[in-house]
Formats: sequence, structure tokens, C-alpha cells
Amino acid sequence: MFLHDLNPTVKALTIIGLVFLLAFLFDPVTPLIYICGTMVVTFWFGTFKKKHYVYYFLPFLLFAFGMFWTTLVFTDKSTASEENLSLFGINFPAEDVWVATSLGLRVLAFATLSLLFLFTTNMVHFILSLIQQLKLPPKIAYGVLAGYRFLPMLKTEFQQVLAAHRIRGVNKPETWKEWIVQYQRMAIPLLAGAIRKAERTAVAMESKGFTGDRDRTFYRPMKIQRKDWIFPLMMFGMLGITIALSVYFGYFSFYGGEL
Amino acid sequence: MRNPILRTENLTVTYEEQQSPVLQDINILIEQGEAVLLLGPSGSGKSSLTHCLNGLFPRELDGSLTGNVYIDGQNTTDYQPGEIARKVGVVFQDPDTQFCMITVEDEIAFGLENLNIPHKAMVEKVDQALQWVGMTDHKLAKISDLSGGQKQKVALACILAMEPEVLILDEPTANLDPVATRDFIDLLKHLKQKLGFTLLVIEHKLEGWLTFLERVIVFSENGTINHDGPLHHHLQFHAAKLDTMGIRLPFATRTSLEEHRQPPHPLFVTDLPDPPSLQEETFLEKAKGDALVSMKHATWKSIIHDVDVTIHEGEWIAIAGENGSGKSSLSKILAGIQKPSSGTVFLKGRPLKKWAQQALRKEIGYVFQNPEHQFIADSVYDEVAFSLRHSGIAEEEQQTLVQETLAFCRLEGMEHQHPFLLSQGQKRRLSVATMIVDQQRLLFLDEPTFGQDERSTAELMALLEQKHDNGITIVMITHDMELVDRYADRVLVIKEGRLAFNDRPEKLWAHDNLASFHLELPPREQWKRTIKHKEQPYVST
Repeated sequence: MFLHDLNPTVKALTIIGLVFLLAFLFDPVTPLIYICGTMVVTFWFGTFKKKHYVYYFLPFLLFAFGMFWTTLVFTDKSTASEENLSLFGINFPAEDVWVATSLGLRVLAFATLSLLFLFTTNMVHFILSLIQQLKLPPKIAYGVLAGYRFLPMLKTEFQQVLAAHRIRGVNKPETWKEWIVQYQRMAIPLLAGAIRKAERTAVAMESKGFTGDRDRTFYRPMKIQRKDWIFPLMMFGMLGITIALSVYFGYFSFYGGEL
Repeated sequence: MRNPILRTENLTVTYEEQQSPVLQDINILIEQGEAVLLLGPSGSGKSSLTHCLNGLFPRELDGSLTGNVYIDGQNTTDYQPGEIARKVGVVFQDPDTQFCMITVEDEIAFGLENLNIPHKAMVEKVDQALQWVGMTDHKLAKISDLSGGQKQKVALACILAMEPEVLILDEPTANLDPVATRDFIDLLKHLKQKLGFTLLVIEHKLEGWLTFLERVIVFSENGTINHDGPLHHHLQFHAAKLDTMGIRLPFATRTSLEEHRQPPHPLFVTDLPDPPSLQEETFLEKAKGDALVSMKHATWKSIIHDVDVTIHEGEWIAIAGENGSGKSSLSKILAGIQKPSSGTVFLKGRPLKKWAQQALRKEIGYVFQNPEHQFIADSVYDEVAFSLRHSGIAEEEQQTLVQETLAFCRLEGMEHQHPFLLSQGQKRRLSVATMIVDQQRLLFLDEPTFGQDERSTAELMALLEQKHDNGITIVMITHDMELVDRYADRVLVIKEGRLAFNDRPEKLWAHDNLASFHLELPPREQWKRTIKHKEQPYVST
């Protein structure tokens, strides 16, 4: 699909740019429309398990609502207008609700953009593209890749150590203090294991001739092609249209130093 | 004379924190196309030598290196970093930590990228290497989805793709089951003939390698060269010396030595003379004790499927099977560490669910594959005393119990050491000590001999045998058919999460489908067969 074939660096930079612009919008309508647009693009041009998207989206939704609610409850009551809105049986000034909604939706807009990237990008390709397009030092990049391989291993090892300690008669921690002691105990074998593994991997990489030199050839050349520019054009264009629409209908507001 | 490809000159390596050098005054000359075995007890510097030969030392060495190492006539210090990889490639022991990429093709390409091979040539070389090791079908696979044997083949492909002149294998089959081991050695034999590389092998288990390694270099414990010469001749005539150094000899050689025969000792079971005593053994069916642990219709995730099995008091059971067939999972369910998704496990007739954790731990001990995982205290003494702390036993009695257990596991005098600073063998014995101090009646051991040299293996097995004689029930997971043959009363073979075989070892050896279980005959059994083979003509005529 189109989103999966994009150059990952172009995709990432586009999204960073969009997030930056969205951070300066201060009305709820513009991000709302943009969220819908981003989701349509994600689902239309990406292939992934839709169920997983929902799972990932839910915590962001919760976070956005938290943002909305804390802003609403903890800000000074606005006195700009007399108009009141009732939420969950509590009255709030309409303007506060407006601001809180815009903050909450902004979080969601960031979330949908991040998920677009996450669900349509192969991490390995992303890192390879960072080396090739943004000149990320191979030493760091291949270190990250090796670490990425380690994550599942570390999880298995954690479970093993936990089981191994249980059988030694270490009980499930009940107080904070016990909890801390238990994790300290587990940290030693886990660290020792991780250091040993990392060292072995480093030795293996070096013995395959890895020096960290930038001058290397690539099995998967990552190039920026003409079609890669469609994505930023599309996404920034969509933002432009969204802003135009909300300006036209009189909802638009830009950040003006409010807090 | 052939071209000398590797040469060391008075090579001495000392690590920073150590007093005596790990390698001392090493002079070796290896010619192109040779197949050499590096032999020695653990800690004799074989791996350090590998690091000198692939250019890692002195660059990455914390310590000092004197003397010279020449590869293809050029001193390793004169090579550009990374350049030596074109000459010398290494396959390491652990299949999980020698990769840095996710998929097979990327991993093979990684080395080629380092060598700046152009893209088009790289694609061809990746395919070529995969074809050499017979893994073409797994080109796009994730490395983490492969079996241990397949991972080692990929590791080999990674090195072969770079077309080095020297191939060093550092215990490449230590993590593999018997069939995967044999496959790997056969593959290597075939590739050596085809590609003609020079081969250096570090290995503890010699069976399988004997037919194509020609020369042996023996290292002693102090890091000097003890012997350098033809492999077969050395084994035949100096087996006794190797044995006292703690090196594991091939079964035939060891047997001949044990029977106090004169050299030359045989290397293969087919060359062993028939002993008068080896007749068809009659087995005394040992009366089974009471059922200790039993499992009914146990299933766990997609790993264990509907297993029924009972362990009786006083038995010694071996669990065997292919890498990843579910051996560890099954033993953990039996030991009550892992709850099955369905089915029930009973201990002394009561479902495990009804046992309190603490009471359960007093009955069952479990020694994990990696002993370090189980260590929780800062000294050997505290480690063993830990499980007694809450047992309500008087302090003085605790002390004597701990001391007795330490003495039993031959760890006297180590009380104040940190468990992580012990040697591999000591760590293993300490983990056993922690599991028997509470008088547990049933002991599970996951690959108890893994990563240990002959001497510590022998010590550990002697210790277990003594415990077993005192009535302890033992369940061990192992790839080593010799251990199964020697100790087990019963073998459980797991195949794809199902119990494929559950009977006495002798019945397993007679099973037609041993290879499909990824197992092989133990050497003693092979020996018996050769005798039968020789006798057959008399029977038929």
C-alpha cells in the first residue's frame, strides 16, 4: 500500500512538521476535522489489523479525556461570557469547555498522526532510512537495531527470573518495601545477562567486519522518489483545507499567548 | 608445503584484572585447508585465542598482548579495522546473541555491507550463501522464529557469504539437539570439501567431529600449548593424559581407558573389542513407588497438548526431544511453576491448586538452565540459607544444615563468595544446593550439564546419583543420550508438545523412529549394535 511504501524519513519529518503546526491551533473544530481526515488516510492507504488500531487508540482517548477534564476542572473560571454548559451535572463556563475540548482534541490529533506512522512503518526500514537519508551514525543505528532484537529476549528472561525466584520461596511482594527489594534482586541477574548478551553481540558484529564507518553499501537502499513527496503534499494540503474551512465558518483561532 | 594462513609468534595475553596470563607463549602455524580441533578444559584460553585471530584483540582488549599474530602473512595490527573479516570468520556458540538484524536475508547482508560489496553482487552472494547451507526457503523468515539448528546454519551462512579463508567455530553445536548437531557437522563437512576453507573448531563433545578434523591443538589450564599434532594419534595414545586434564573423550576411547587397555585406544565404537560381559541385559523391573506427581489432560497455550503422565517416588526420569518441542514447559507445569491452561496436576493425590506455595516448595525443587537466574543473595552461605530463614528451624540447626549441604555440593570454603563470581560448575552446584537444603523429595533439572566441562559434569552427576540413592526423585531435561542411557529409569519424549514416548530407555533405543524425535542412540547402544552386527553371520549360517 501507498503508506507502507513511502520513504520512512519523509513520512516521519512530515508528521513532525504537522504536529508542530497543530500545536499552534487553538480551536476544537480544526483538529477534529483533521483527526477524521488522518484516520481516513490511515485506513484507506494502510493495511494492518484494524482491531490493533483500536487497542492502541484507546489509551490515547483516555489520556485526551483526562487532559480535557483536568483543564476544565483546574483552570480559573472564565468570566468572559455568561453562557454556561452543564456536564455530568456540573456547570462550566462555555468558553472553558471550548478550550478544554481543543486541548483534548489536540492530543488526539497527535495520537492519530503517530499511529499513522507506527502502523505503516517497518522499524528496520525506518532506521535504515535514517542512516541513509539523515546520516545517522551506523554505530548508533545498528546498536538500536540489535537492542530492538533484544526486547523480546529480555521479556522472556524477566519471566524466567521471576519464576526462578518464586521457586526459591520469594513470595509475591505485598508492601512497597518488599516490592522494591524484589526488583533490586531481579535487577542483578537481568543486568548481568543483558551485559553478557550485549557483549557477545558486539563481538559477533565486529567479527563480521562492522566498524561503525559511515562508508558502507546497503542491501536495502532507501531512496527518496518523486512519489514520496505526495504524502507531505497531501497531509499539509489537508491541513490547509481544514484551516480554510474552519476560518470560513468562523471557528478558527490561533495560539495567542493564552494559558 | 601449503601456504601458512595463520601464524602466532610467542603470543601472550593477560587480562587486566588477572594475575596470570590466559594465553602463554603460543606458537602455532596453520596451513591453508587444514581442519584443526582446539581442545582444552574451560578457561584454558581457547576463546581468547579466537579473539586474537579475528582481530578483536589487541584493539578491544582490556589487558596486554605481546607477541605477534599473522594472518595470510600480514600482522593483524597492520590490518585496517574490519579488514580481517575478509580473511577470518567466526561462528559463535549462542545462537541468539550473534545476530543484530531481524530477518535472515538482512543478517547475511549485514556482513557484506560492512565489506562494501556493491548491491548487485550482494544480492547474489546472499542467495548463494543461503543455498550453501540449505536455508533458501527461510530467506525472508524472522531469525527469532527459527529453531536453534536453523539459527546456527544462518550464522554459518553469514560468515560463508563473506568468503573468508579461515572459519573458526566456537562450540557451534553446544545448544543443539543430537539430530541438529549431526546435521550441522554433516553440512560443514560437505561445505569444507566444496569450498576448501581452513577450519578451526573449538568443541567439547568430540563424537561427530572425529571423521574430518585432522589435527588437534591441546591447551592446558594455564594457557600454554600442551600438544600439537594429528588428532587421531593423540587420542589413541595420550587419552589418559587428556582425561586427567578434564577433557571429555569419545565414548569408545573412554571405555577402553576405563577397562585399562593399552594404547592405541579406539576412537569409534565400531573399533571397540567385544567385552565378555556385554550380553543381552536382563532388566530387573524396579518396583514403582507411590505416585508422586501426576498430570491429567494438561494443555498449555499451543505448546503442550493434552499430556497425561505420572512420576513415581524414587524414579529417575529424563525428558528429551527436539529443541523447542515443549520440554521446559512441560517440566514447569509438572513442578507447579506454570499453571496449565486446562487439565490438572496432582501432587500426592491433591491438586496443585490446593497446595500453599510454601508447602509446595518444600516438596519440589527446580534447577533452572541458567543458575544465575535463581540467585537472590549476596553470598554463597546466604543463598543456601535463604529458604531456611522462614522455616522456623532453630538458628543453630540452620547453620549445620547449610554447612552440610555446602559440603555435599563441594562448596566448602566458598561461603563468603558472591554467587555470580563462582565458576560455571560451582554455580550449577550452588543452584542444586539451594534446591535440596530444604529436604525436597522431587528435583527437576533443566539441562543440568549445559555449559560445563567434563570434570564439573562428572561431579554434578555423582552428587545427583548420591541424592537419588537416598530416595530423591529426579526429573532431568537433557539432549545428552549418554546421560539418559546411564541414569534414567524412564524417558519421556516430547514431540510438538505431545508425549510421544513414555517408557524405559531400552525401549526407546529399540524404537524405529528415534530420528523423528531428534534423538540418537547413545554410544553404548551403538556399540552393542555393532557387536550384534558382527555376530549376525554366525546366527544366520
